Amino acid sequence: MTALLEVDRAVKRFGGISAVNDLSFKVEAGESLGLIGPNGAGKTTVFSLIMGEHRLNSGAIRLNGTDISALPTYERIKRGVARTYQVPRPFSEINVAENIRVGLMPDSLRLMLTEGPDPDAELELARSVGFGPADLERKPSQLSMGDLRKLELARTLATAPQIILLDEVFAGLTVGEIAQISDLIARKRAEGMTFVIVSHDLRSLQPLIDRAVVMTFGQVIAEGSFESVMSDEKVRAAYLGH
Amino acid sequence: MAADIRLRHVLLWGLFIAGMCLLPFVTTPGTLRTVIFANYLAIFAMSWDFLTGRTGYVSFGHPFLIGIGAYSTAILSYRFGVPVAISIPAAVLITMLAGTLFFLPALRIRGSYFALVTLAFMELMYQLVQVIRPDITGGTRGISGVQTLTSGAFNNFYLSFALMVVIAIVLWTLTRTRLGTALSAIGMNEESVRGSGLNTTKLKLFSFMVSACVAGIGGAFYVHYLGSIAPRALFDINFLFTIIVAALIGGASTIIGPMAGAFFLTFLLEYLRPVLPGSERYFIYGAIALVLYMYQPKGLYAIVEDLAGRVRRKPTQDTVRDRAA
Repeated sequence: MTALLEVDRAVKRFGGISAVNDLSFKVEAGESLGLIGPNGAGKTTVFSLIMGEHRLNSGAIRLNGTDISALPTYERIKRGVARTYQVPRPFSEINVAENIRVGLMPDSLRLMLTEGPDPDAELELARSVGFGPADLERKPSQLSMGDLRKLELARTLATAPQIILLDEVFAGLTVGEIAQISDLIARKRAEGMTFVIVSHDLRSLQPLIDRAVVMTFGQVIAEGSFESVMSDEKVRAAYLGH
Repeated sequence: MAADIRLRHVLLWGLFIAGMCLLPFVTTPGTLRTVIFANYLAIFAMSWDFLTGRTGYVSFGHPFLIGIGAYSTAILSYRFGVPVAISIPAAVLITMLAGTLFFLPALRIRGSYFALVTLAFMELMYQLVQVIRPDITGGTRGISGVQTLTSGAFNNFYLSFALMVVIAIVLWTLTRTRLGTALSAIGMNEESVRGSGLNTTKLKLFSFMVSACVAGIGGAFYVHYLGSIAPRALFDINFLFTIIVAALIGGASTIIGPMAGAFFLTFLLEYLRPVLPGSERYFIYGAIALVLYMYQPKGLYAIVEDLAGRVRRKPTQDTVRDRAA
């Protein structure tokens, strides 16, 4: 069976530094994969390569078996891959509803002009991540970090993805907010959404993933269940430095 | 077009148009001429705002676009005898073509680098019109004797106002569609717009084209109002700053703000003229702009909106007090 997402022998160099070096992994539909590794391992670069924000030096990214390596970011999103960022990137001067609206927009100037927004879809998406109707009018500056992550997730969901890449989704969150976001991811998983999750908070990550890929210096060093990779000597050495 | 337009918007636009239409009957031709300049400045400021206020790509080269529009129609009509009914639309098309040139740097750079490149466009144009075929461009002296479309302050007021108000309504309506939201979102975070599945190149090109189209219309009609064109006045840093300050004083990214800012700035400079006839006037307007930015960086539009908000809220508070009593 064709994997939903396949990173095949990906190489990305920045000058003389190999950020991603002959990296391969697959994600099956409905699966939740944890992409873990120490700081500087290249996890965020992998996300940027999958989204087309950085171009591969060699290798391929396949979505449902189709090579998407040459496509621009917006074309990849149309095909069903979306991501969130380590630091949320909301549209700061427009409210929650309008932020979600941008995610819902068709990539057509004509439709943007001739068709108005869909407040019901905006509200439904807002509700799906835990916002209430009163939150729709709030600006990002009035939101907590947890709410900003929810907003980013809502905008990502608005693009109707098949797979979502979550980058450091628990960073900067309180214990309560981590629980909220975890519930949200668990709910979306139950609905069949596919995830690749990067997080340093391994305790929070563990219940949300089926499998983990551990990378360091741009290469995969272990792959398997969370417990098995955590007991791997190479992983311990990479994390502890000995 | 699916734009978010309410009844109060229609009423306010109606009131504004009605009030302006009555203006020639209650004021002097001298004041009308000032209003005509304000109308053209408003067109230029709105053109700048539709690009910079929305997408955040700061243009320091709008006189380049305005100049292309102005020179194209002036050359076509004066040198080649093309009727203005053809030369003006042709000039607008040529300006839009030039707008694509203007757009190219935006594919790779933004921020201060983009601003400097656009400034270079203006400077380049200033040099080119003087050097290349001065027999056609008029060289440093420019072209005088360009056909005027109508005569007298009365007629020119209505012509410039009609142009200005049609452009204002079209641009304002555009900003109230989803496309307007997407363009604003580019100004806030272009990567996130791309990350929402939208082709930002297409969106930016649209914004540049609309901005160039408006600059071309403004430039073309302005030269047929003045009857002459001179490179030194057109490709001038003061002209550029007047456009930008008008947009910023009024409130960037609002279309109505730059229109109001153009009127505020024009009348401010005009009323300062008897007191300060020289360029000292620019110090005063610079100081006023500075104070305004410090008080409200979003300009006059935000101040008026804030006051209107307070007025709207007040009866509600009174009602609450009444109920409590």
